[in-house]
Amino acid sequence: MIVFSVLLLLFLSNYLVFIAAQSTVSTFQGYNEMKHLNQAGNYIANLDPDSDMNMGKIDKNDTQNVYDYLKNNNIRYALFTDGFIVSLPNAYDMEVSFAYLNEEYYKLNKQFEISQGKDLYFDYCFDNNDIEIPVLIGKGLSKTYPLGSTIKVEDPMLQKQITLKVQGILKPNVYHSNLYSLSSKQYYNFSVVIPVNEAFLNNSSVGLQLQGLFDIILLQTSKNKIEGLHKVIQDKLGLKFNFYTQEENFEYFNKYYFSSLKIITVITVILTLILTCITIWSSLASIRLMIKDFTINLFVGLSYLKLRKIFYDYYGVLFFINLIVLFIITAYSRYGTWIRKDASFSTFGLFGVIGMDWLALLAVLFFDIIIGIIIVEIMLWRIKKVPISLGVLQ
Amino acid sequence: MTKIIDLNIQEKVYKSRKSRLSILNDFKLEVNSGEKIAIVGKSGVGKTTLLNILGLLDRNYNGYYTLFGSKTNDLNLSQLAEWRNQKIGFVLQESALINSLTIEENIKLPLLYAKAGENNKLDDFESIINIIEIESILKKKPLECSGGEKSRVVFARAIIMKPQLILCDEPTASLDGDNKERIITLLFKMNQEFNTTIITVTHDLNSKKVIDCINNLNYYYAYGKYSTANIKYSPLT
Repeated sequence: MIVFSVLLLLFLSNYLVFIAAQSTVSTFQGYNEMKHLNQAGNYIANLDPDSDMNMGKIDKNDTQNVYDYLKNNNIRYALFTDGFIVSLPNAYDMEVSFAYLNEEYYKLNKQFEISQGKDLYFDYCFDNNDIEIPVLIGKGLSKTYPLGSTIKVEDPMLQKQITLKVQGILKPNVYHSNLYSLSSKQYYNFSVVIPVNEAFLNNSSVGLQLQGLFDIILLQTSKNKIEGLHKVIQDKLGLKFNFYTQEENFEYFNKYYFSSLKIITVITVILTLILTCITIWSSLASIRLMIKDFTINLFVGLSYLKLRKIFYDYYGVLFFINLIVLFIITAYSRYGTWIRKDASFSTFGLFGVIGMDWLALLAVLFFDIIIGIIIVEIMLWRIKKVPISLGVLQ
Repeated sequence: MTKIIDLNIQEKVYKSRKSRLSILNDFKLEVNSGEKIAIVGKSGVGKTTLLNILGLLDRNYNGYYTLFGSKTNDLNLSQLAEWRNQKIGFVLQESALINSLTIEENIKLPLLYAKAGENNKLDDFESIINIIEIESILKKKPLECSGGEKSRVVFARAIIMKPQLILCDEPTASLDGDNKERIITLLFKMNQEFNTTIITVTHDLNSKKVIDCINNLNYYYAYGKYSTANIKYSPLT
């Protein structure tokens, strides 16, 4: 009973440490990505939560007016949008999502690293009759569509048949973080990254133009031009956008995200401490119950050195079981995305377990080593306090 | 005859916050291999403390103790544990069994801590349980056994490593006549067959059965109420 309660308590503290470590690693990954986008002089657009939104009322002319304004006022912008599902046969039978980005976004965001092939280029010829676009594809598609191969597909944004030429293969587990929830991210193992140039944008449907505005990043521009853009969007689309400066974005992250991360860390530390104290108390209770048994063992040849080794072995086994269970839970969660064919979250690794998971497991291992040493040494100290003596048995 | 024990205690002190108790003052004991000794004294004079010292459980006293020709103060904790495992057998009271283990596991407990190569002691296991007549209870837990059975199990555990020295802590205190005789017979058999040195402590010198037992010993030491000096060395011949 005591063994199971100690095992359960240790597992709970391990799970808390794992979640906190994983969330912290993921947040810092998101923060590093955000730092590339959120540079001084850049404004990041965000649809005001109170803005009315009626997609049906917005047509292509309206959105084109916005992009014309950007062009006429020499406002450079980084555009990125994704999540457009396309049926594209592949070895894993996964749904494929198309991601669209323009050259500025590609240069600004360093996430889309390739393992094979060449970087994207954007000055391809956009001929309405025979469109061949160089693309990057995720690792999960590379078996079916190797480097240099072409894919004929109806593009959801152009709404016509186009040819995609595989220009490069993305590194495994390339991700993009949610700017407003840094620890949540999606993966591009089953994505096609399509370069958007001016001709592509002008020929695309309202969908791409509108979606592109939602997270558009305006580069090195002035407050006046932003106010003008704000007005154009309101007039043409009936939408209210906020454009946040670098300072405002950092303020947001510090105010909401990092403060909540701090709270999570403090809560984790407090809960872990409580669980550890209960574990130590529980272990000491078992020592009290078993002091006669320990004494008999010490009588017949057990030494404190061996006892220390036995305790370390015992807690080593408990911690190993916990780590295995944590690994199984993580693998189940990661591998579950493969079973559910959830392309945006499917990752490559041992059962889908990726770097941040291994780092979190490493953090748990480090935590376990510290806690193990504390528990074992306290238990030995307690046992040594009762001298080996015939008196104990009497 | 080889001298295996040379103990000279100037003073053993128990301290607490409020009191200081000094026992075993100027206590000397020399024992040769193969001797059978009884230490007799009333409760509180230090018999158990003496067994703790003899059994390498307590080194916190003023004096010296040479066992098997080695100064015990020079031994480290692991060596002490090894000696308790290899050279000393403790015949304790019947309650000194681990209730969560079977009788067989209790008897084999010292083998767990034996050095590699000592596992041939397993061969002795069969002969020991035959002599002690406990085959039928090997799979039982101590709580399922009688007091006499448990005493024999404690004895079996003490001799499984064939120790050179057996220390007995009132081994027959709670036993009836038959069981008491059986344990004493086994002790003497060990002594005769393997030249094992046996030291036992008891407080009940007036008991006829104990005196019968002591009459079979080479010597006894009586101290406390049985002596005018602090310790008396009396060969019973």
